Amino acid sequence: MGSDFYQQSILPYAVIIIKICRAYTHSQEDFEDYYQEVCLQIWRSRDNFNAESKWSTWIYKVALNVCLTHLKQRKRGEQQFVSDALPDEVHDDAKAFGSDDINLLYNAIKHLSEIDRAVILLYLEEKSYAEIGEIIGANTNSIGVRITRIKERLNKFIKAQE
Amino acid sequence: MSKSIEAMWKQGFVSEGELSAPKVNDLYNRKSQNIVDKLQNMFAVNIKAIVIGALIMLLVMSLIGAPWLGLYISVLLAPLVIIAKKELTKSHNLSKGQSSLEYLESFDAWLKASIDTYSNYYRFFYPLFYIGMVTQGLVSDAGTKVMVVLLKYYPTEYVFLAIPGYIWVVITLLFLLIVRYSEALYRLDLDIIYGRQFKKLDELITDMRALKSGR
Repeated sequence: MGSDFYQQSILPYAVIIIKICRAYTHSQEDFEDYYQEVCLQIWRSRDNFNAESKWSTWIYKVALNVCLTHLKQRKRGEQQFVSDALPDEVHDDAKAFGSDDINLLYNAIKHLSEIDRAVILLYLEEKSYAEIGEIIGANTNSIGVRITRIKERLNKFIKAQE
Repeated sequence: MSKSIEAMWKQGFVSEGELSAPKVNDLYNRKSQNIVDKLQNMFAVNIKAIVIGALIMLLVMSLIGAPWLGLYISVLLAPLVIIAKKELTKSHNLSKGQSSLEYLESFDAWLKASIDTYSNYYRFFYPLFYIGMVTQGLVSDAGTKVMVVLLKYYPTEYVFLAIPGYIWVVITLLFLLIVRYSEALYRLDLDIIYGRQFKKLDELITDMRALKSGR
């Protein structure tokens, strides 16, 4: 991958990738691994980019698709999809954010299913229901109901942690 | 709880400059860990391994006096090279820039079609491989000597091509077993290696379809 491509087409959107990868990883090592994987796939798939949609929307799609199908070689030598194990079962050393609130919120998000994580991340990024539907491939009408349910679960979790 | 999750998110990322991107090292040469890429790599390695394996088989079998068996196995492996090449080409057409559901569905469809293609191949490969090995075993010097010994200690009136009838029965039963279970054997092998990922993929797609249908 050319350094220019990274500087011009990925780095300005690195925040998107960071926010998504954090939700699917439990350690700094995993996070860096996923971040690099997303960058690699953006570069590899760049010719598939459809200029009718926004570049940022496309980055959300690639990042989520990579996180949903990324393999991680765990210490016991088993290969599995990312975030396969429940957060309770793994040591989470990814307290990467300065804000305690954000760390708490991410911890709660990591207790959700992979798809619910994607939905809530896009919602928090202020994507419209139509955009969330486009990125994930879901019915716009069902997004609102799902978000309400997810928020209830998150609030419950956060309340229990406080 | 004093803040809404929306407020927590917004305030937590007020200064997005604090989010520093990790260093990107040598991405061009990075070995991908994405399952699609992993399978693509496997197909690519498989093609090379099959070609090398077939050549080694041919050489080794020729050296031990069974060149026809070596050639036979090489010919049996040839379709596998063609299949692996075709599957590799198909996998390159998968775009990660689709919606998550479309991507996972296209990936799943490709995966299932690939497995079916390989299953069809192995349904023939295992029995034909078995026939080759048995034939070579029976016509070899060692095989002929074993048959003579068997006939001496376990004589029978049913002998065909100097092979006792009960050996034909065993050979046939094993052949039928291999025919019956060759596909299952391949799928079991696949399940042991990738079963967990396949199950996870199914769960993800089911969840996403539920979201699409409004449930």
